[in-house]
Amino acid sequence: MKKIIGIGAFSLLILGASLALVGPGNSALPQVEPAYVKECGACHIPYPAQYLPKRSWERILGSLDKHFGENATLSPKALQPIKAYLDSHAADSAAGNPRIMRDVAVNNTPLRIVEMPFWIHIHHKQIERKAFDAPKVKSAGNCAACHKGAANGRFGDDD
Amino acid sequence: MKARQFIALSCIVLLPAMAYAGAAQKPILDSYLAAAKAENAAFSGFSAERGKAFFLAKHEASADTPSCTTCHTSDPTKAGQTRAGKDVAPMAVSKTPDRFTDAEKVEKWFTRNCQSVIGRACTAQEKGDFITFMSSL
Repeated sequence: MKKIIGIGAFSLLILGASLALVGPGNSALPQVEPAYVKECGACHIPYPAQYLPKRSWERILGSLDKHFGENATLSPKALQPIKAYLDSHAADSAAGNPRIMRDVAVNNTPLRIVEMPFWIHIHHKQIERKAFDAPKVKSAGNCAACHKGAANGRFGDDD
Repeated sequence: MKARQFIALSCIVLLPAMAYAGAAQKPILDSYLAAAKAENAAFSGFSAERGKAFFLAKHEASADTPSCTTCHTSDPTKAGQTRAGKDVAPMAVSKTPDRFTDAEKVEKWFTRNCQSVIGRACTAQEKGDFITFMSSL
């Protein structure tokens, strides 16, 4: 009997640990497309595909010659796997998270993750706007200034 | 006789070492050399001095990126930083030996950054001067 209780308790412990691993904030991210990390990650962290809707990624990839004040054009060959990856992992894709799309109007195509309602809700609830202008941060788009695990897709409070 | 042998030996040992700084960059530099001659019949070779002036120059095309130094800093032996806050390895070949060894990568960045900073494509001479300057540091 004692043995059965022991096994039961152990199973619960494992189940609990597994659930904690896939909880919000530190959810295990899907495998990131290497071409996306190599090309887009050369200038900034490879921003998570699931933090913007498909239409946003489409518009960004369609205007790389004017990419936030810089020319970031890619050859059609280099662009192809990146386009496929972002399309299949966007917030409103099967791999996305419906919570990320909350409050995003259908006629709104945010071009920055920092314009997404979920991002604003999480960050501006507690953090003063001027903190993002500090020289060490440069811009709110520099996730890694505060989230040390950002390059690996970790954005929890402790990352 | 001994002195002569020493000099000969020194040459054998030292020459390849001297040639090494820039040897990896030679294929790309050679292709820009051919293109520069095709662009301008009077072209007489790349210049590290011209490359330096080009690297430090300020341009009017963009308020965000007025110069190469916006991201690379004015000291190419030091790491730079993109506007999004990511580190850029030093441009100087002495610090980052695999600079200018991947033709596709070199063309990709000249294409992007010349458009961003100067607002036009760079000439083969400008590219060659730039690489010559970065190889001289």
